[in-house]
Amino acid sequence: MNTMRVSGISEIMSLVIMLVIIIVFMGQASPVFMTTRNLENMLLDISTVGILAVFTTLLMIGGGLDLSIGATLALCGVVIGALQTTLGILPAAGLALVVGALVGLLNGFLVTYVGINPLITTLGMLSIARGLAFVFSDGLTIPVFDNDGTQQAAYDVFTQFGEGQVLGIATPVFVMLLLFGIGLLILQFTAYGRAMYAMGGNAQASHLAGLAVRRYRMIAYTLSGLSAGLTAVMLTSRLYAADPRAAMGIELTVITSVVLGGISLAGGKGTLIGTALGVLVLSTLLNGMKLLSTSTDAQNIAQGIVLLLAVGLDQLRTRNINWSKWLRGSRLLPGAATPSKASASSGSD
Amino acid sequence: MNTPLLEMQHIQKSFYGVKVLDDVSIDLAAGETLALLGENGAGKSTLIKILNGDYLRDDGEVLIDGKPVHFSEPRDAEAHGIRMIYQELHYAPELSVAENLLLGRLPRRPGALGWIVDWNLTRKQAQDALALLNVQIDPMTKMRDLSVVEREIIEIVKALSRHARIIVMDEPTAALTPPEVQQLFQIIRNLRERGVGIIYISHRLDEVFQIAQRVTVLRDGKHVGTRAIADVTHKALVHMMVGREIEERTQVRQELAAVQTGAPVLEVRNLSKRGAFEDISLKVAAGEIVGLFGLLGAGHNNLTQAIFGIERAERGTIYINGNAVEVRSPRDGKRAGIGFVPLDRKINGLVLGMSVRKNITLSNWRVLAPMGVFWHGQEMQHTRHWVDQLGIRMAGGIETHTRYLSGGNQQKVVLSRWLEANVRVLLLNEPTWGVDVGARSDIYDQLEALAAQGLAILMVSSDIDEVLTVSHRILTIYKGRLTGEFMQAQATQEKLLQAAAGGGA
Repeated sequence: MNTMRVSGISEIMSLVIMLVIIIVFMGQASPVFMTTRNLENMLLDISTVGILAVFTTLLMIGGGLDLSIGATLALCGVVIGALQTTLGILPAAGLALVVGALVGLLNGFLVTYVGINPLITTLGMLSIARGLAFVFSDGLTIPVFDNDGTQQAAYDVFTQFGEGQVLGIATPVFVMLLLFGIGLLILQFTAYGRAMYAMGGNAQASHLAGLAVRRYRMIAYTLSGLSAGLTAVMLTSRLYAADPRAAMGIELTVITSVVLGGISLAGGKGTLIGTALGVLVLSTLLNGMKLLSTSTDAQNIAQGIVLLLAVGLDQLRTRNINWSKWLRGSRLLPGAATPSKASASSGSD
Repeated sequence: MNTPLLEMQHIQKSFYGVKVLDDVSIDLAAGETLALLGENGAGKSTLIKILNGDYLRDDGEVLIDGKPVHFSEPRDAEAHGIRMIYQELHYAPELSVAENLLLGRLPRRPGALGWIVDWNLTRKQAQDALALLNVQIDPMTKMRDLSVVEREIIEIVKALSRHARIIVMDEPTAALTPPEVQQLFQIIRNLRERGVGIIYISHRLDEVFQIAQRVTVLRDGKHVGTRAIADVTHKALVHMMVGREIEERTQVRQELAAVQTGAPVLEVRNLSKRGAFEDISLKVAAGEIVGLFGLLGAGHNNLTQAIFGIERAERGTIYINGNAVEVRSPRDGKRAGIGFVPLDRKINGLVLGMSVRKNITLSNWRVLAPMGVFWHGQEMQHTRHWVDQLGIRMAGGIETHTRYLSGGNQQKVVLSRWLEANVRVLLLNEPTWGVDVGARSDIYDQLEALAAQGLAILMVSSDIDEVLTVSHRILTIYKGRLTGEFMQAQATQEKLLQAAAGGGA
């Protein structure tokens, strides 16, 4: 069979092994780790990252990138908090979804039609959304509950998004599993999923094959924004509060998980199975570190190392590096001591 | 006779079992210009890349001053004074000529840790370098203010100032006007007087007669011959380059001429785009293969791109089956029933990391994924149909990534994509560029079969043999204007070359 598929399987196997090692180690190191309560909590914690990771996976396979999801999440939460009494809690939650989708749509428009680099576009959007979240909340955490007792029924419904259960599973976890399932089907069987792989693999060729590349790309960004709105609703429901500082840096956790799961920054390859494992590995690692009372700083450092390792390994795999040449090029081997003559074409010495 | 500056002897090179160079030998004396001729795919660029250390030879020897050398990377070739001047030049446009010439080794003032550039000395060194070849350009001019030929000349000066002994020029005149060509030739003559050996690659035979002393012709990876330019005629060179048996060709021609052609499917009226093509009108009938022949940069590629909607024409109309169509994007082109086989299939044609199946069905989702969901069985069936019909060969079945296919099979995948999309017009750009000889005739057979089924085919090519072999009718284009129209039976190498070089029909 072809080599791509084999390497895909070995990638997944190595993630499973990593996961087992982390679980065994954490189980040994912390008595609390393997308790049902901790595992349940962990899954609930994972749900936000997991849901965002599904949409980030779709987007990144298509060659996109969205750094603004965390800030958009905070903005959408603040929308709920600020408008819960004026609009009613449920319409406010609905509006949060719309706001998320609009932010995503704007990202998509700027990337596809204006042609701004996705990194810059969504970095700018991150700043804007986070800023707006602070403006609309006056920088304060807004409590989200029925303080005058007039919307009891509506708040009961709203609470279900974060605290309720579906088929005996916490709603956010259920939604996450459902979205992973739907995402798998989309990537495997639909024209949309095929378009993501084609565009990420070769956007120019896809365009010349008559694919509506821009439209697909807009949709992917819009969905990414929508996922931020969706997670905002569930998080606000679960925490009974909207915080403009919410989900700070979550985009980094999401992207690290996704890249760890084998999604290339260049696009065109990867699966949601990989992403699921990537999310599990990173979240388990971070959760375990938390239980071992390591500081958030240490967790940040660990996450950064995981991100760089994952991307670095991906680079090395795809480049087929000739090691001896690489070492000579970086002057680590003898024989590189003589300064190279400038190449005539590049003109640099 | 003295020891030649450069000898490449009995060079062999294969890619994936396909022999691209088979026992090729060239030699070059100091102060000599050797023209290297051959069609696309003849092996010129492979030979040059071996000389430059980009590729490793499988067999044979390279000698410089009679001593065997071995290059494993371009740096090694540079150390022996070998320099390439490519069509695409690399330079810093915002910097001056002097800075570009001395980039990376600008003279410094003594003291101050050598951090401060000595501009007076820079200017003087640049002037000295320019004077070596009698170049009249102010070294303080910015690179971007120079003309194309001047930039090329600077590149040559740079090569010489870095002790070049052998300079390889790959189609250096492709983007130049006739007076500029003469300007460049003067520099080449000056270069020769300084004892530099020059390997000159060009499709333009007239230039070869002007500038070269000897000429080596390659065809299909084989060394056809090396002649002194004084001993050879224009006609003989063309024959050496093309060299197919006359009988075979006339037979093909008769078959082609017998094909009945139907009503025009594609018609283009007065299509213009400034700087690319002017006032182009042409018709392609159902069942007809029209060859559009032009030299590099004649505007034929832009023309097909405009018909497919990749770039937009400024004026003119495109008709499909008599109806005017507005083509603003490749998507519009596809909807209008036009298929486009691009020049560079790896960049513009294929998603290399996707399977043969997914690449073949890429333009027909409307049928294969109704409501946006693929029906696997149908997709497999359609894929197998084209794989069988076009004879697409791959090692691991239809789930093999297209990256691992040979050039010819890759091209067939692109071709079958448009057949799967059921187009009525097929635009081809250099359809057999980088395709080996066997797959090439496969593709020609396929094109003829498709035309026989009623497809209208417009084929852009700068390969004169290809144009003569498969076209029913041939149009020539020069500097964006159509300069001639030939029915198959009247077309000859000489007429086409003359018309495509602007000499009129």
